[in-house]
Amino acid sequence: MIELEHVGKRFERSRGVAALDDVTLTIERGEIVSVVGPSGSGKSTFLNLIGGLDRPTSGHIRVGGQALHDLSDDELTRLRRDTVGFIFQFFNLLPTLTCLENVGLPLHLRGWPRRRVEATARELLTLVQLGSRLHDRPEELSGGERQRVAIARALSINPPVILADEPTGNLDTHTGEQILALLRDLQERLNSTVVIVTHDLTVAASCPRTIALRDGRVVEDLRR
Amino acid sequence: MLLRLITWPYVRKHALRTMLTLAGIALGVAVFVGMNSANASVLRAFSQTIDQIAGRAELQVTSGETGFAEDVLDRVQSVPSVRVAVPVIEAVADPHIRGEGSLLILGVDLIGDRNLRDYDLESGDDAVIDDPLVFLAQPDSIMLSRAFADKNHIAAGDRLTLGTAEGDRTFSVRGVMKAGGLASAFGGNLAVMDIYAAQKMFGRGRTFDRIDVALTPGRTIAESTRELETALGSGFQIAPPSGRGQQFESMIAGYSLMMNASSVFALFIGMFIIYNSFATAVSERRKEIGVLRALGASRRQVRLLFLLESAVAGLVGSLAGIIAGTFIARGIAASIGGLIHDVYGVARQAVHATATPGLLAVSLAIGIGTSMIAAWIPARAAAAVDPVRALQKGGDVSLSSGETRARLVLAAVSALGSTGCLLLDRSGALFYASYVLATLFAMLLTPFLSVGLMRLLRPLLKWVRPVEGTLAADSLIQAPRRTSGSVAALMLSFALVVAFAGMARSTYGSLVDWMNTTLNPDLFVMPSPDIAVRNVRFPSTMSDELAALPGIETVQVVRQARVVFQQTPIMLLAVDLLSIERTARARVTDGNASDMVRAGAAGKGILVSDNFAQLRRLKVGDLLELPAPAGVIRLPIVGVIVDYSDQQGSILIDRTVFQRYWNDDSVNFFRVYLASGASLADVKRRILERFAGRRQVFVLNNGELRDYILKIATQWFALTYVQVAVATLIAVLGIVNMLTVSITDRRRELGVLRAVGASNNQIRRTIWMEALCTSALGLALGYALGAINLYYALEIVRQDVAGMRLDYEFPIGVALAVMPVMFAAAFVAALWPAESAVRGSLVEALEYE
Repeated sequence: MIELEHVGKRFERSRGVAALDDVTLTIERGEIVSVVGPSGSGKSTFLNLIGGLDRPTSGHIRVGGQALHDLSDDELTRLRRDTVGFIFQFFNLLPTLTCLENVGLPLHLRGWPRRRVEATARELLTLVQLGSRLHDRPEELSGGERQRVAIARALSINPPVILADEPTGNLDTHTGEQILALLRDLQERLNSTVVIVTHDLTVAASCPRTIALRDGRVVEDLRR
Repeated sequence: MLLRLITWPYVRKHALRTMLTLAGIALGVAVFVGMNSANASVLRAFSQTIDQIAGRAELQVTSGETGFAEDVLDRVQSVPSVRVAVPVIEAVADPHIRGEGSLLILGVDLIGDRNLRDYDLESGDDAVIDDPLVFLAQPDSIMLSRAFADKNHIAAGDRLTLGTAEGDRTFSVRGVMKAGGLASAFGGNLAVMDIYAAQKMFGRGRTFDRIDVALTPGRTIAESTRELETALGSGFQIAPPSGRGQQFESMIAGYSLMMNASSVFALFIGMFIIYNSFATAVSERRKEIGVLRALGASRRQVRLLFLLESAVAGLVGSLAGIIAGTFIARGIAASIGGLIHDVYGVARQAVHATATPGLLAVSLAIGIGTSMIAAWIPARAAAAVDPVRALQKGGDVSLSSGETRARLVLAAVSALGSTGCLLLDRSGALFYASYVLATLFAMLLTPFLSVGLMRLLRPLLKWVRPVEGTLAADSLIQAPRRTSGSVAALMLSFALVVAFAGMARSTYGSLVDWMNTTLNPDLFVMPSPDIAVRNVRFPSTMSDELAALPGIETVQVVRQARVVFQQTPIMLLAVDLLSIERTARARVTDGNASDMVRAGAAGKGILVSDNFAQLRRLKVGDLLELPAPAGVIRLPIVGVIVDYSDQQGSILIDRTVFQRYWNDDSVNFFRVYLASGASLADVKRRILERFAGRRQVFVLNNGELRDYILKIATQWFALTYVQVAVATLIAVLGIVNMLTVSITDRRRELGVLRAVGASNNQIRRTIWMEALCTSALGLALGYALGAINLYYALEIVRQDVAGMRLDYEFPIGVALAVMPVMFAAAFVAALWPAESAVRGSLVEALEYE
């Protein structure tokens, strides 16, 4: 599902220091993979590259068989819209929109009819057990509830790939566990590929596969 | 130090926004400098011409524009305190030189005049000066200024053709005067000729325009003025040359008021841009301010930092504005000069617009002061930042409950105050206070009205574009502080547009109505192609000659001249009232139409124009004292009619009264009605043929005169429209500024949108819609405030500018026409911010806090 071949990423502002250095790996469809490493190891860069948010300075990435380096900005946008669901540490919900509107956002962007958008968003919010909070705004929700909305939004397009950047980083342990359970449950139902970036070893240990990064290189690829 | 450490990096990081803020100040100051220096330069040029022509004259005796009989000179010369008294005629002639404009002809009696003025000849026959009889003996003699002669390659001995009342006449250039002094008057376009020749050439009969006086040594101006007043009686103005400058200033006071008011308005709108910039800067830099406060910076230091920033911005913006304004002034001066010529009949002259050091200092002070005043509230807000809260995430773009309460209370007080002032007094200081309070009321309510309107619009926008529309609306709703500055600037601009357009519409309507009822002759026979020129006149004998021409049914004579009434030159119209009544039905606003004409024709009353009555708060029955050379006319006002012959209003008397009191039967123009079936072209041709070679005659048909009058009205509004355009430009700058800030504030939000699949076009559309919504809010509120503004503007026109009672008509056409223009401008303003929103790094946007 996701293939990286000698992928490197250097940032000019960091005086050419490699954020990712010659990374080669493959993640199969339906896998749940955690990516761990200390701060500055390249975890977020890895996620950004496979999510099409950024471009590598060397090497090739394929997502769902599609080579990202050949894609224009618009094609990358389409890839994000159709293939990838993002979950962020700080939820990144739009504060002015209700839960229903936030979840329906990617569907509107795809140009779905309003009724279908609303029906799907309702269904997804019910799935993440927020069926009673449809018209609440993010500020009215707890951290765990916000992350559920973010997950529902990521799932709204039924993406083959879900990328989660520290999805429990801003939550207490109990809520974090609930969110992970939810992610696993959804992954099983939808057979999506889930990549979770985390510095929490408990979260990492709960995933069948863990990739450890250090100084931009893969130092361990552990399958349980 | 703080400026270097804190401000400078911020300025460098936000270079574009800093430029926009500076542009706002610069534009405001540029308009202020441009308008004021152009206006002042025109006034200065007029005063300089008076001084240069006055020479060593300490007093001048005049009688408005009417002039007076030659024997007045003897009476002046007999006054003991008068050492020298010399007569003068001033006329403006067309030298028929392309691009040269008019030539000021000074008719003097060279025998006595050299006691007051120096005529140093550079070339030519010195004998004309040494022996004035030579000059007198050759009535076609003229002397030219060095500047005029050089520009047109004319030398002593050459001949020059001038348009005079007697048609084109060729003059011999007997000498060229050295540059400087008298020769510099009227921008250097000056010629001197013998006074008696000038009387003949310019239709003055046996009258002089003015007598210049030098005093006996040891006698004061006050003493001499008293003696002259006693010797001459009423109807004469005796004042130092500077007094004429003051009369000129008082005459164009209404015009100056409008000019100054609208330039101050432009500055006021610029103030909003500055306020908006600083308010958002404070919001953005809360964290930085929090760090400063946590490190021990006092509230005072933070406040000073922002005020200092605003002062520096004000200084830089003002300097740029002054430079731009100086250039603008050159263009505006020519336009103002033309307008003053057309409206007030003051001879047009070359004006070199320069800003005086005083004006530059005032502009600099205003620019800096405006910036600091605009930054005062944001600076106070910055100083009040709580370090703990400031270090937390999130901006401060909403209004606190305290600020909301304070705004609402102040708005209510302003509304009550405005209404109260209006109820107490609809004129004077209270009226203006009411206007200011009404504007303040609108400004205070802007954030709430913007948010309220946006909430109403949100469903519609969501329906149009579910994502882009919703986000655009929410962005504006969530940040009233950010939004309201730009909306207020737009609102004020549109309010100005509505007021000016409404005034223009009503003015045109009133003028057309007046022309339809009063200005209905078929032809106008004039001594100059320039309607504003009044110092070239016809003899009354022409009336019979015209009336005898085939195809002409009625000829009416019109004598018009400015006379000084209560220290201000006022237009006096002397006509055959009974004859005019038979052909034209003026709209009466006070009095009985037929009674007033009968009383006026019998010399028992005076008619005044409605605008004259309005400006001076007069009504039927009031006694008017009009000083004339043959005594003071003391007559009651018997009627008030609509007449827009002059912007300051006019006094109408019967021609017989004028002849009696001014001993003057000359004519400014003839109103001619054709006999039934007569051809306009044939009659026009007959008139021209009848006077060919004898008189300079120009014949205008009714349509041409109407076009001319409407052209003047258009000119009048043209300059103010320029200011409106500038105000709108400043407001558009505000939109760019607001959007740039909005994009920075919403960087993460836009990043999320892009991350979840929004295309670049969808992001662009969000920004465009935000700009269009801002424009829509500005338009909606601007039209509402404009409706109020128009009321005040019409009242100001009635009370203080032109006395015209204009009907209130909301300019729907202009309001509709402005909409697409403003939406287009908002769209253009949003292009760059929208591009910057899609260009930034997505990863950085998502990391942005």
